[in-house]
Amino acid sequence: MKFAAFLIVSLCGGLLLYATADLPAWGDPNSPAGTHLSPHYIEKALEETDVPNLVTAVLADYRGYDTMFETAVVFCAGLACLLLLRDYTRKKGSFYRHIPTGVVIHFKENRKNPPKSREFEHMDKEWVPYDLIMKTVCRILIPFIQLYALYVVAHGDFSPGGGFQGGVIFGSSLILLAISYNLRTVMDRIKERVLGFLCVLGVLVYTGIGVLCMIPGGNFLDYSKLAVFLPVDPGHVRALGMLGVEIGVGIAVMAVMVVIYVNIASEGRHDEGL
Amino acid sequence: MMTNTVYPALVVIAPLLTALFCSGFSWVEKRICYPVAGAGLLVATYSAFRVLLEVLAEGTVQYRMAGWAPPFGIEFRIDLLNALVLLVVAAISLVNLVASHRFVIRDMDDRSGTFYAIYLLFVTGLLGVVATGDLFNLYVLLEITSLTSYAQIAMGDPDRGPLASLNYVFIGVIGASFYLLGVGYIYIKTGSLNMVDVASILPALQDSSAILIAFIFCMIGVWIKMALFPLHIWLPNAYTYAPLPASRVIAPLMTKVMVYVMIRLMLTVFGLDYIFEKLDIAKAVVWLSTAAILAGGVMALAQRDIKKMAAYIIVSEIGYMVGGAWLGNKIGMTGSILHIMNDAVMTFALFLAAGNLAFKLGDVRFKNLENSFAKMPWTMTGFVLAGFSIIGVPPTCGFFSKWYLVLGGIEAGAYHFVAALIISSLICAVLFFRIFEIGFFSGESHGRDHGHSAGPEMAEAPVSMLIPLGITSIFLIGLGLYSGVIVNRIIHPFLG
Repeated sequence: MKFAAFLIVSLCGGLLLYATADLPAWGDPNSPAGTHLSPHYIEKALEETDVPNLVTAVLADYRGYDTMFETAVVFCAGLACLLLLRDYTRKKGSFYRHIPTGVVIHFKENRKNPPKSREFEHMDKEWVPYDLIMKTVCRILIPFIQLYALYVVAHGDFSPGGGFQGGVIFGSSLILLAISYNLRTVMDRIKERVLGFLCVLGVLVYTGIGVLCMIPGGNFLDYSKLAVFLPVDPGHVRALGMLGVEIGVGIAVMAVMVVIYVNIASEGRHDEGL
Repeated sequence: MMTNTVYPALVVIAPLLTALFCSGFSWVEKRICYPVAGAGLLVATYSAFRVLLEVLAEGTVQYRMAGWAPPFGIEFRIDLLNALVLLVVAAISLVNLVASHRFVIRDMDDRSGTFYAIYLLFVTGLLGVVATGDLFNLYVLLEITSLTSYAQIAMGDPDRGPLASLNYVFIGVIGASFYLLGVGYIYIKTGSLNMVDVASILPALQDSSAILIAFIFCMIGVWIKMALFPLHIWLPNAYTYAPLPASRVIAPLMTKVMVYVMIRLMLTVFGLDYIFEKLDIAKAVVWLSTAAILAGGVMALAQRDIKKMAAYIIVSEIGYMVGGAWLGNKIGMTGSILHIMNDAVMTFALFLAAGNLAFKLGDVRFKNLENSFAKMPWTMTGFVLAGFSIIGVPPTCGFFSKWYLVLGGIEAGAYHFVAALIISSLICAVLFFRIFEIGFFSGESHGRDHGHSAGPEMAEAPVSMLIPLGITSIFLIGLGLYSGVIVNRIIHPFLG
């Protein structure tokens, strides 16, 4: 079996290598990829879309329909996590430690979480004592990470960045909070239901902007038609449409990141994670 | 023709939007999700119908996403073939939604909203794959379809569903990667992703080895996804252990849509000249599909469970369609395209009937089916019709596409393929008459008191499940009776 697998892999690799002989040279400016469509994007994108970042122009406008479904793929991943991992039963019991007294309480099956109080902390075999340095550093760091995430989303039109990157950075700040404190701290700040809504909202912003473009009679996602709703220079409307879409992507990616983390880390129980 | 209507976009956007609403409502009021999903699919079906009418009246419809002209932006390019498949996909998913409502309430009430959202996204993916005229966009939507089908399959049988889904994930990802590598090579050699644009560049590149590899990789990718023997190993378990509301739509549609993708790549992108004159592999593929037909049939014979038997029948049917498309003549291609539609409807009918049986009997192993004709006469009538269609008994639709395939095989001189088709019909006859026998005659023969018992009680499935089965069964015969019209109005004009 291993031999057969090796044979198939070498065959495929060999075929791919065989074909590389026929590919244009690396970085060849006269290759088809460099001469067929790219010149149009490079010459016309700024004029047509008013966005200086070519990558964003192609991604969010020329091929914006693809990107909408890329966002939907991320959304699907989040939904699949909810569908498969979320545990609605609360079967397993858990241990909580009352910090001032040091008493450990055992919550049996089908019990709700302990009262929201900073005096309780979860106990399991990975339990570690309160860590002053880590918690303080993370507490200081997290707001800046989030600020940076917003910058990355907002600056997607002008510099490298955009909704996907910004969303991931924002999501990771919340995951850092969950790791350095605990999951309950995060779930107290963002309820599961809010996270679920945010996942939907992100994709809905993208799709909604697309549908909005259809109301004045344009095609789906044709941002130039948004000029009817936005009192700005018509040449700049496409750029604003892209910004709106990027914000949607950012929200969706952020929320899905947290949903996936929360469900995997707590085995779908949403009480305590790593 | 550039279209001014919104219907081409609406076919895909309506299910996507309603999927989002379902997911949102699942946190507030779960009961709204079902009507919302139904409305979305109704709009999609109506739009697909309007698009078909438009294509029939005025020829190929082009819809520019974001308003950009084709090679620069993404376009929907809907001709007669797409329009037909779109309507089949949208209608079947709508009927299944209605038929599965009771199932969803019974088996997964706590997560029904999320399930509907995933279901709608799956349908969105299928419709998008069919409607698009862009090679990369096709991949993105394929990704959506695959991801959602993995999730749905993993929700099935708690012991074996997740494992079957995991196997499917591994193999499905490999298949998608093959397709993506192929598209990558096409892009490097042509610089374009638009199907029609690529097709206009490719004739100059017929001797390119990169294009040859791209073609092979694209084909292997779609073959893995459609489960052409011997790449089918993921399919039987995945379709057997999936929850019925999901498997009833995944099983008939996913593989058929992949056959559509193969035909689209052959006809529109690479072109028949390249495939049949430049390359000399058509005969080998027809042999492969012959093997698929026979292997699927033989393995189906070994099963003791309707769902698994149906899964192997699908493996066999894939052989029909691939073989027909690769025969290299118009009749074979006609049969293949007609069979996409007919097979989607008849496997759907089979799964609907199996679902009704499973709803009442718990599971559909053969030994549970004793007396099923007496207990569930309507369901079994639908089952018999679906069985007849799969065997190929006129006037059900399965007969007509098989007829075209046989004629195509004879014209191409591929007698092994013709023989496989006929043997497969015989195997299907054995398969189904064995079940009919169990349903009619067993049960009374052992243990029961013949003279005195009044026979088993009627225990028919709920009306909301019987009506969809009834409608589908009517279509089995209707599509058969009107297959001449479909061929003359839709398939022949498309093939030119």
